[in-house]
Amino acid sequence: MFINQNRPRRTAAASLSTVGVLAVLSACASGGETAGGESFSIPDTDPTATVKVLSQLDLAKDNMQSVVDAFEQAHPTITIEWQTVPFDSLASTIDSRVSNKAGDPDVYWADQPRISALSARGMAQDLTEVFADAGDAFDPGAWNTGFYQDRLYALPIENSTQLVFCNLDLLQQAGLTAPSAAIDDRLTWEQLAADAVTATQGGAQYGLTFNQFDRYYQLEPLPVEKGGSTGVTGDDGLTPDFTSDEWVDALTWYQSLFETGAAPKGMTPEQTDTAFLAGQVAYTVSGPWLLPQLTDAGLNWGVTPQPTFEGSDTVATPTGSWSVAMNPFSKHKDAAAIFMNWLAIEDGGGYIAYRSNPSLPATVEGKEAYFQKDLFASPAGQDAAAIIDYETANTAVARPSTIGYIEFESILNSAFADIRNGADVAQALEDANDKLTVAWAKYE
Amino acid sequence: MTLAPTSRSGVSTSRRRPSAARHQVLWTIIFLAPAIVALLALRLAPSGQAIASSVFKAFPGGLVPPTFAGLDNYVALFGDPRFVDTVVRTLVFNVIINPLQIFVALLLAVLLVQRIPLDGVWRTLLFIPVTIPIVGSSVAWGAALGPDGPINTLLEAMGGNPQPFFTSPTQALAGIVVIASWIGIGYWMMFLISGLQAIPGELYEAARLDRAGPIRTFFSITIPMLRRPLLFVLVADTVSNFVLFVPIQMLTDGGPQDSTTLLMFDAYRTTYEYGSRNLGAAEVVILTAIMLFFVLLQFRLLREEKEKK
Repeated sequence: MFINQNRPRRTAAASLSTVGVLAVLSACASGGETAGGESFSIPDTDPTATVKVLSQLDLAKDNMQSVVDAFEQAHPTITIEWQTVPFDSLASTIDSRVSNKAGDPDVYWADQPRISALSARGMAQDLTEVFADAGDAFDPGAWNTGFYQDRLYALPIENSTQLVFCNLDLLQQAGLTAPSAAIDDRLTWEQLAADAVTATQGGAQYGLTFNQFDRYYQLEPLPVEKGGSTGVTGDDGLTPDFTSDEWVDALTWYQSLFETGAAPKGMTPEQTDTAFLAGQVAYTVSGPWLLPQLTDAGLNWGVTPQPTFEGSDTVATPTGSWSVAMNPFSKHKDAAAIFMNWLAIEDGGGYIAYRSNPSLPATVEGKEAYFQKDLFASPAGQDAAAIIDYETANTAVARPSTIGYIEFESILNSAFADIRNGADVAQALEDANDKLTVAWAKYE
Repeated sequence: MTLAPTSRSGVSTSRRRPSAARHQVLWTIIFLAPAIVALLALRLAPSGQAIASSVFKAFPGGLVPPTFAGLDNYVALFGDPRFVDTVVRTLVFNVIINPLQIFVALLLAVLLVQRIPLDGVWRTLLFIPVTIPIVGSSVAWGAALGPDGPINTLLEAMGGNPQPFFTSPTQALAGIVVIASWIGIGYWMMFLISGLQAIPGELYEAARLDRAGPIRTFFSITIPMLRRPLLFVLVADTVSNFVLFVPIQMLTDGGPQDSTTLLMFDAYRTTYEYGSRNLGAAEVVILTAIMLFFVLLQFRLLREEKEKK
């Protein structure tokens, strides 16, 4: 799933000051034997090589040229050969190109929920020996997405989280006070739903929207905050676990949003950000990608952390985005490792430092530079920065690590949509459970 | 093609005939080759592949070789009540939509061969949906039947209740029938119009002389004379409705609550969305078998018709 699909193009070009160098390089000097492909290392002197990189990002359109130029300047003997395919065909392109064992591409962009599957199928190089000590540089939620069965297969290069944006004018119109931005002062989902209904009575066209209605990325926190699992259990990550009382409770609350009119029934994920920016929505749960558009839209907005349920002491927020992985058949693994290290780790990640419109970084150091941007200059922007910083470091719950993630997500998303349309919650989850059991039978 | 040279050339025909025949066979092969190659590459090979794939079991992705699984995939499918429901739903859908489309198409065709003013305009209007790409018409119908769409607005203006359409498990499949028929009826109507126009006028004249009324004429002249184009339309329409896919994928994604999951869509979803390509191949084989059964049944009807003559 491409979670940042609604992200706007950021125009402001800002180069980041590079602060400090991580100590991980010293740990990377030694190579090691690995299960997924031949071993490699990060040598002291650069080899002369061409590294082929496969991504859904375009050099020009997605501002990746500046990143490639900066790398080639820092490592003159390594040339980057950039290949772009559309997002929709990225997974199948990786599948066919890695499978033919020619070693092209050397490095590819990996959608985080697919990392387990790629690793299990032998399509990602085991990076554990060389990169395992780099974990401290990253937010834990993002870092953990690279692991499959305790081995590291990918390095995160960007991240995401969710927070609640509110339209202060609509709130005032309905006699509601702006919710606090303080982490310790979290709303409850029940309160937010009630306030959303009040807002519609006060004139807001829509009370509450989720950026991604009916999608697992967005709804995963609900059952987790009720005390349920992420939906998958078992050592192999192939046992569905979403028919528990906690899941039924959480999704019954989700269904009630549409029955009480707190949230609109027919709206698709593609329409939610636009509706909020047009001033039609009182509260929206969305990602940091909304920030630059908010500044442009001239809305009077505020933020508050994503709520939890009444009486729950668990807080969970969505997380995850893109990583980079190495082809186990690559013929230039050392050079590829140098590129991945530079892109994801060095100085908070060259991907963040040299891309003019970076997304939320996955590294702690990258985030520091990210929050210096003009985007976060306003008081509301400062609030948003504090929330994003806290949630990515403390409450992020990664999507489950399972080789069957794609089926899992697709089947659950359909169940969420049915629940939203009024299906019996327990029955819908039971049906999804049966379907997933059939879909996962091939892994037995 | 003209063939055997005559003895006019003065050469013994017994010697030339085999070479001429060889010549003819050669040209026949050359002319038929593109069609045969296309048939093999585009029809038979994929079918063979699907059958072969359906008896294996594999991890998704290209690196791990599949293992032979015999009929396991078929056993798994028919042991899954959800799949059996899908097969039944597909059959019911076809039992309803095919007669419906053909009946309405025939009604319109009969109407439009009458001497009515502006018949060309009406025919064009009815044919226009066929010319619109199905993706476009699906999007348009999706918007029209949306919760805040124009059809609900119209219903409310007339004092009715807004309907859930594609978000209701009891209405969504009917919505798909409407979209498929909106496109299909105009298309099949054109075949029936040409069939109607091929019926000799003197038959109707004779019927008139025998004082047959319009209904009697319709059942005793029109229907029997139209039998062959009707059977063609029946076969072709059945096939196209068995493989109906685009509106389902675009508008309902098989939902709500699987109410629009037909076999073709299910095979696609199993293969690509869930990555179970062998199970998906088994579904394709089952779908093809069901379709072949109906098509053969219809050809049997066609043959009986011939024999009667």
